[in-house]
Amino acid sequence: MTPAPRFAARALACALAITATAAAATPATAKAPTRIVALTPFTANTLAHLGIKPVGIGQTLGGHDKLDPALKSVKTLPLSHPAGPNLEQLAALNPQLVLSTPTWQRGETAMRKLGMKVVDVEPRSLAEVAVDTKRIGALVGRTAQANRLATQIDRGIANAQKNIRKHPTVLLIIGVGRTPYAALENSWGGDVVKKAGGRLLTRGLRASGGFARISNETVVERDPDVIIAVPHGAAGDIPRLARYLKTNPAWKTTKAARNKRIYVSTGNSLLQAWTDAGRTISDVRRSFLKN
Amino acid sequence: MPLRRLSVVMIAAVTLVAAIGASLALGAVSIPLRDVIDALTGNLDPGPFKQIVTELRLPRTVDAILVGASLGVAGALLQGALGNPLASPDVIGVTGGAGFGAVLILLVFPGSIALLPVGALVFGLAAAAIVFAVAWSGESRGGIGKLILAGIGVQAFFFAATTATMVIYSDRVQSAVFWLAGGLVSEGWTNTEAVWPYFAVGLIAAAALMRPLDRLALGDDVAASLGARPRLIRLIACATAAVLASAAASLVGLLSFLGLVTPHLVRLAGGTPSHRYVVPVSALVGATILLVGDTLARVVAAPVELPVGPFMVALGVPLFLWLLRKTV
Repeated sequence: MTPAPRFAARALACALAITATAAAATPATAKAPTRIVALTPFTANTLAHLGIKPVGIGQTLGGHDKLDPALKSVKTLPLSHPAGPNLEQLAALNPQLVLSTPTWQRGETAMRKLGMKVVDVEPRSLAEVAVDTKRIGALVGRTAQANRLATQIDRGIANAQKNIRKHPTVLLIIGVGRTPYAALENSWGGDVVKKAGGRLLTRGLRASGGFARISNETVVERDPDVIIAVPHGAAGDIPRLARYLKTNPAWKTTKAARNKRIYVSTGNSLLQAWTDAGRTISDVRRSFLKN
Repeated sequence: MPLRRLSVVMIAAVTLVAAIGASLALGAVSIPLRDVIDALTGNLDPGPFKQIVTELRLPRTVDAILVGASLGVAGALLQGALGNPLASPDVIGVTGGAGFGAVLILLVFPGSIALLPVGALVFGLAAAAIVFAVAWSGESRGGIGKLILAGIGVQAFFFAATTATMVIYSDRVQSAVFWLAGGLVSEGWTNTEAVWPYFAVGLIAAAALMRPLDRLALGDDVAASLGARPRLIRLIACATAAVLASAAASLVGLLSFLGLVTPHLVRLAGGTPSHRYVVPVSALVGATILLVGDTLARVVAAPVELPVGPFMVALGVPLFLWLLRKTV
């Protein structure tokens, strides 16, 4: 054997030996967690679609009207500021994995100290829904199902955007009490309205969280064709807030008010991500944008 | 010790012991008393119940005792040092500084949430340092009026900075509101481990200040004739109160009410202004009020936790007003 092939043979042998050693040292794939708490409707519904029943789900403002029926018997954990779930209740469920959101960041430190694995999963745009679905699938050991679900979600989003005929100007306003915040393009609701064909009148407004304080003067000055108002508060306050937003005298000179196109969305579909994103877009088109 | 003062100490001590028991036994999750005792004595097998008692309830109980005692002592020191019944940690700017430090972390750097206690502590101490630097410079240095006015100015500055930050980051403001309202959170031992030296130094210094403050109460001239250095005592007492109040704010947010009212409660109930009585008993009473208030805040609307501030006010103010009506 000439020196070159001999060297190549030795190198190959070394490479095989290293590969074999590394393979022996690699632990078997970590067992997927079985005790999971999902703090958002998105993560809870995704788990349900993947055939997993979490041991606890977060109870957000606005109730559980859009949760998968398979989750009906799951224990709910009321969420409140600043930490999210009550840590005693959460610890009592003994979860291995908590699917959380940055909203509950304050409580996450304590959750981790209690030995729980905490992962933030909160799509802020329609494009992130499929990505985060796959991420959840990888976390819970259901990669193949998650990939199928992600494809289905993307298809639903694409179908919902077909044949858009009109592009009205829109302000999506979150009413925190009587204080209005505009949902920007970098918020879930803003992205949904944009993909549904609306043109958001939020130029110049910036906020890393996706919601910027907007004055009534600015609303009047921007004069949108459509105002979609989302009351945000305790469940008992929503009807009162909805009435206020619907008939807000400060907006009466806008095109939206004159043409009776101030709509109030009382569900949470424009506040946070949902697995049926395509349906959310279709609902916005049919109910608010009429396009 | 006269019977009246002894009775106050006994009542406060018994209530504190009962409050410790309630704080460990009650919560959002119902745990049999036997399991609570076994968890505390190390006889309970590892599991959720043991974790809840030893890693959530116990640290929170200790925090409540430390913070309540510190705020009571801080108020007693300030009222004694400044000879002003309205003195509280607000007067030396600590509350405003700590509030701004916390809001800065919560709103501007939410990714560094673990630094929240450090932010509150550092800015609380910084605010007090500015007040002292102003009050102990120029003419009439160390004067009570100058110190109080400097405190009001610094407090106003930091409150304005806090409000401006909240307006700029209004979309995140909800996380700051709960902190500003004041309240304990179940976060294990980490925060306590970070700030306990400040409590230790503050409480030891407070014990050493009790006699000098009694001399100061006779007036600066008389105190000086007895060999005391009134301005130095005042500075050390205010600095000690600043350390205690900042450390307390770093754990529970803004609860300045406790620092204001507790020493008055003790003086009215005990019938003596002596700091050798008021300072230690303020620690006992402050710890009791905060622990009872926190247990109620955790249990009344469980599993949702309410801010402790309103509960403390509901507990402390009626008692305070009743004593005020009876005694003064």
